[in-house]
Amino acid sequence: MGLLSTRRFAAAALGAGLLVTVAGVTGLAMTRHPVAAHFDTVSELPVPVGPIAAVARSQDVKAPLPVALTIPAIGVQTSLVKLGLTAAGALQVPPSTTVAGWYTGSPRPGAIGSAVIAGHIDSYSGPGVFFRLSQLRPGDHVYVRRADGTLAVFRVTAVRSYAKNQFPTQAVYGATPDAELRLITCGGTFDSQTGSYLGNTVVFAVQVG
Amino acid sequence: MKILGFIRWTAILLAMPALLLGIFGASSASAASSGIGWVRLAHFSPNTPAVDVYLYSFGDSSAELVLHHVAYGTVSPYESLSAGEYTVAMRPAGAAPTTAPAISASLAVTAGHSYTVAGLGPESGLRLAVLDDQLTTPPGKAVVRVIQASLQDHVVTVSYAAKSLAHNLAFGSVAAYQTVDPGTVTVTATGASETSATLDIAAGTVHTLVILDGAQGLEIDNLVDAAGSAVPPAGGAATGFGGTAPRVPSPAPWLLLVVAGLLVAGAGGLGLRWLPRSRA
Repeated sequence: MGLLSTRRFAAAALGAGLLVTVAGVTGLAMTRHPVAAHFDTVSELPVPVGPIAAVARSQDVKAPLPVALTIPAIGVQTSLVKLGLTAAGALQVPPSTTVAGWYTGSPRPGAIGSAVIAGHIDSYSGPGVFFRLSQLRPGDHVYVRRADGTLAVFRVTAVRSYAKNQFPTQAVYGATPDAELRLITCGGTFDSQTGSYLGNTVVFAVQVG
Repeated sequence: MKILGFIRWTAILLAMPALLLGIFGASSASAASSGIGWVRLAHFSPNTPAVDVYLYSFGDSSAELVLHHVAYGTVSPYESLSAGEYTVAMRPAGAAPTTAPAISASLAVTAGHSYTVAGLGPESGLRLAVLDDQLTTPPGKAVVRVIQASLQDHVVTVSYAAKSLAHNLAFGSVAAYQTVDPGTVTVTATGASETSATLDIAAGTVHTLVILDGAQGLEIDNLVDAAGSAVPPAGGAATGFGGTAPRVPSPAPWLLLVVAGLLVAGAGGLGLRWLPRSRA
């Protein structure tokens, strides 16, 4: 092993190092655009079993509290926490991204009126409980288990997206004469400056027997 | 036949103010955009026997909805209907659908509006009233109206806590909606007899209180016409942290590669600079 081969080795290292540097700089230049994250699809869940509540009538002034939510079509199965309002008067959101919550200021699911359930689309690192909410289609069924064990069954009528600064408060929180459900999560573009999504996805559903 | 015709026209004329109100009345924004409205059917005529109620889409002779054996005091759930013209007809319970109805009324359903079509008055003067039901409340308030359907007590006064909802309301008439403070309240109906009920009236809800003839004097039937959020939250919901949003991939691996490349190249360059040249 002479000096010659050591010098050759140094020259090779210089060349290879420069090549790797160029590759790294090229890589840096090519990863400046956002890329959609990919998540495994989930399988459908079985329809929950239990006594189905009759469709609410005008005479029914009381309904049991909601305790759990199942949406078989998009693999959602969660308990329900209670949500109030923030100090600023906005809708409180669940403390965990893996559970949904019922807004206690709205009618109870399965009573006359527009019941409101909200859940996170994601956490800082991955999907939340309502990650696939926007994939629901009219005709899909939503099941809310109540404290008495009965199931209030809803049929999706519409899935809509709104900019948060044009949120349709009346359509979502306004009164209805029949028993309806609103499922709310985030959607649209994520603004990394403010750390929040610019839009909301809202699923509209009506109670069926 | 003349009398029936008269009744029909009376019903239509009576329905007109309600329909006009309907055009300006409060509506449900979500339903308006999907083109549907709601109708419920009620029997509030104490001495009229049970009826079958038919709902026809205008010009269609087959009924869209039939309710059998609807007795005094019965109220159907709200049925959602496409906006358009409809006819409501009542026949004595069990009568063939081909027979002439005892009474009928036309109804124009506007998208996002709800209606109560009620048989009102005594059997001898039965009429079908089309009532425009309210779907909005002032923030933090409730809204209540009264239908006087007691024949025993021809005139009834109804109070909601200390507030008067209807004063000397005549049998068969409807008092307009009034804004009230929500809460657990005592509602009192006073005619020849008096009855009270304790009701939970939530903010953001609309009610109709129907005064009925019961087995022992007056009864108060509390109907929920509509319900929404007591206090609508401001704006949208902050339901995401961006963990699944499209994002710029981390530059760390490429930076590492650049640093490693520079180190290796630097080492090579130093080697070339300091190692003695071959003597050959």
